[in-house]
Amino acid sequence: MAEYEAVIGLETHIQLNTKTKIFCACKADSWEDPPNTNICPVCTGLPGVLPVLNRKVVEKAVLLAEAMGAEVQPVSHFDRKNYFYPDLPKGYQISQFDIPVAIGGYFDLPIPETADPQGKGYIRKVRIHKLHIEEDAGKTKNARNKRQVDFNRCGVPLVEMVTEPDLRTADEAAQYLVRLRQLLRWLGISEADMEKGNLRCDGNVSIRLKGSNVLNVKTEIKNVNSIDSLRDAIRKEIDRQIREVEAGNAIHAWTLEWDDDKGVLKKMRSKETEADYRYFREPDLLPLKISDEWKSEILKSFPELPLDRRQRFVDDYGLPMYDADILTLERGLSEYFEATAAMYKGDPKKVSNWLMNDVLRMINEQKLTPMEMALTPTFLVELLKLVDVGTINITTGKSLLQVVQDSGKSPAGLVEEQGLVQVKDDALIREICEKIMEENPDEVELYRGGKETLIGWFVGQVMRASRGKADAKLAREILFELLT
Amino acid sequence: MELCDLSAFEIREKILSKEVSAVEVLESSLKRIEQVDGRPGTIDSGPITDEDKKRVHSFITLTETAAREQAQKVDKLVAEGKDPGPLAGIPTTIKDVFCVKDTPSTIGSRILANFKAPYTATPVERMRGAGAVLLGKVNLDEFTYGSSTESSAFQPSTRNPWDTSRVPGGSSGGSAASVAAGEAQLSLGTDTAGSIRQPAAFCGVVGLKPTYGRVSRYGLIAFGSSLDCPGPIARNAKDAALMLKAIAGVDAKDATTANLPVADYMAMLEKDIKGKRIGMSSDYFQLTFPNAGTGEYSQQPVPEEIKNAVLQAAEIYRLLGAEIIENVPMPNTRYGIPVYFVISRVEAASNLHRFDGVKYGHRTPQKTAELKEMYRRSRGEGFGKQPKIRILMGMYVSAAHYSEQYYQRALKVRTLIRQDFERVFDPDGKYKLDALLTPTTPTAAFPMDAVFGDSVLMQYADQLTVPANHAGTPGVSFPGGFNVEGLPIGLQLLGPDFSEGELLQLTHAYEQATAGAGWRKKIPTVLREE
Repeated sequence: MAEYEAVIGLETHIQLNTKTKIFCACKADSWEDPPNTNICPVCTGLPGVLPVLNRKVVEKAVLLAEAMGAEVQPVSHFDRKNYFYPDLPKGYQISQFDIPVAIGGYFDLPIPETADPQGKGYIRKVRIHKLHIEEDAGKTKNARNKRQVDFNRCGVPLVEMVTEPDLRTADEAAQYLVRLRQLLRWLGISEADMEKGNLRCDGNVSIRLKGSNVLNVKTEIKNVNSIDSLRDAIRKEIDRQIREVEAGNAIHAWTLEWDDDKGVLKKMRSKETEADYRYFREPDLLPLKISDEWKSEILKSFPELPLDRRQRFVDDYGLPMYDADILTLERGLSEYFEATAAMYKGDPKKVSNWLMNDVLRMINEQKLTPMEMALTPTFLVELLKLVDVGTINITTGKSLLQVVQDSGKSPAGLVEEQGLVQVKDDALIREICEKIMEENPDEVELYRGGKETLIGWFVGQVMRASRGKADAKLAREILFELLT
Repeated sequence: MELCDLSAFEIREKILSKEVSAVEVLESSLKRIEQVDGRPGTIDSGPITDEDKKRVHSFITLTETAAREQAQKVDKLVAEGKDPGPLAGIPTTIKDVFCVKDTPSTIGSRILANFKAPYTATPVERMRGAGAVLLGKVNLDEFTYGSSTESSAFQPSTRNPWDTSRVPGGSSGGSAASVAAGEAQLSLGTDTAGSIRQPAAFCGVVGLKPTYGRVSRYGLIAFGSSLDCPGPIARNAKDAALMLKAIAGVDAKDATTANLPVADYMAMLEKDIKGKRIGMSSDYFQLTFPNAGTGEYSQQPVPEEIKNAVLQAAEIYRLLGAEIIENVPMPNTRYGIPVYFVISRVEAASNLHRFDGVKYGHRTPQKTAELKEMYRRSRGEGFGKQPKIRILMGMYVSAAHYSEQYYQRALKVRTLIRQDFERVFDPDGKYKLDALLTPTTPTAAFPMDAVFGDSVLMQYADQLTVPANHAGTPGVSFPGGFNVEGLPIGLQLLGPDFSEGELLQLTHAYEQATAGAGWRKKIPTVLREE
């Protein structure tokens, strides 16, 4: 069999997380609201109404454009995309066509070892074709022979971002979404939850002989609502196309719909003729002018990007890439790490360990953002130092994390209040050790008979008896001495 | 002379001085409506009777109860010594293209015959806020697509108060006729190619199309969104100034409104016009139209009596101290209608998409098997002939493979038309005009049924008015005498952006200078004793 490669381009629709809709004052987020509750004459397209652009939408789009290195257009235009559908109350969608808000740019996508057949990991450069702003449509559903329409989603702001056909595997496509989702949340411009439809993705897939430069007929995959589905769907479509070509069949420009329950692609329609949307300039809106002043005002708060920060964590803090990657998955966590590491001044890897092993779990369990934690970086540093100087041992330290979080009290205060200071008194520990040995003659016998691994069990008993306060290292030394 | 025959300004003075009450003024208007209007326009109206042919039929919806409440409120404010607003107690009609909360907003079409808007258009809201008494909604061409009001689905359509066998013009025919017949002092109209100025000319009243963006379009059911302008129709320049002041100004609900201060139009009226530069262009004294077969342009001069009325007005201005500049070239005037045919249809077709029977308006009572069939039947039954023709043409010229040839090209020519105006109004240019004086229309009011049915010929009624819509510049039409058949002749002044104050000032100067003329004493035939 000949060797093929896939050519994949992605079209993402990103719902921006503005408070209000793009052209009216209705609440944008209707996730928990009943149908047709966040609507008004403007977003339901009543006769006579006019759109007024929400400037926040532009600001969020500019942030994304900047992150992609796309060129923000000083003047762009809104256009009408005309088509009939019940969830499109005006009969046209206000979108951008030939002069969108930003053009070009690229995404240097790190592909992890696990997604690299060579097992090494690599960077895939994905070029961005364009970003444009548009309004979302409503939703329709069928219920007992009736078509029902919910207009809540009408006018929710979207950015459509289209890549060039630069992706080569299903894994790369999945990675694109992983990194895009991370970036959108990092910039604070979208909730980027695929299951809620905040982030939607269509894939264009074709295949060609490896080493060739031609672009063959592509199919379009729609209705994928998770990253895993996208990967699965693209993988299956690549396989199908290879089978067809190998069997001497042609690939047709179909639109395929992913059935998530069955895990299969179904043909929605042939796409041999392009729909004519009769685009023309939206006369109800002025050209969108983004002055240098406005742009620099928007970019004033532009953050260091996640992949840059990841590299800096490796370079500046000497963290392994694995740690740096996890600590930069989410912007708040990365900021929490840096605040802690800066105050701590000790080994950053130690901070990383505490965060990745313990604090991250607490954050996830309690569904908090890092900066909302009662266990602030200041408290965490205080706690780490208590362990470092031996005031408390690691075990006490770790169990204190949750106590600090629950009580909001300082670690030093809690140590004082609860008498958690580590016991370093040789005589006191010796006394406990002797008592343990006395109570467990069988184990003493076994140890002396050669089962030396039991030392750990004895240390554990001592720690328990001392309510975790004993210096474990010292306890081990004394036990060793007494048992031998 | 009845109260309803006084001007808006006079009414206002009398109400403020408590000489008359707003309720008395209203009753006078209602009595006049009773006398001259006949039955209102309705869908499925049955045959037009001989009685119908003698009446004006301005109204579709008369909101008498609400009007009475408004008038009483004005009287209460006056009694309490509070400011009742600049339009206090002035009877006003609204073209049925504007949405008014809880009132039928039909746009003269079967497809919206049952539609009651849940909100009120900005200019209507502003008029009401200024104390105007809204009498109701008046007739128009269906979706404003016409120049005679005959295409309304609500029949009988409006007739010309000067000769009820003739059209009132359009599409703001009900507006102009209601003001001319003394039913209302003021009316709110819209002008997309001349729909305020042409009926104002036909009915012998003043109609002003403001600069695009001067008056909010919010709540105006769109025709050609880049061309539509709401504006006043009134008995004289002063009344138009009074009304324009109330409705003009930036609106947060319309992104295309201009964020510029509104001039004090009333104060500007009395200023001297000495030194004003008024131009005349031969391009406005002839109709130029392409021969469909050969593509060659043919020309037809406007009738002598219309031309003479304009020349006499120029002479009056000269005597008042203005400078008349002749032979001003406006070479792209001839392309106004072809360009309009393309641009307005593209926008109209798109604007009509929302009328699909899904959310409001007419939905076919027939059972339909699928969605597209429901769309087709609802739209097929709901739209009259003009919307259908305009959808077809708009879809055709905006199709991807024709857009370059038609729509994109039309946009370029539109720019050339705009440049004609910029050139002659440029204060540093060769002409430095303050205004251009032209006829408003190539003919006086034509007989009912004479042009109706010929979409192209009907469209050419707008040739002298449409360039200002393309350019976005203001224009005013005002009465300049009568032709031999006793029909009003309209004179038009066109000016640069935001020159409404200057245009009204020039109109007022002409009105003052001709106040004693014999033709000023004529009253519409529907008001003459039989």
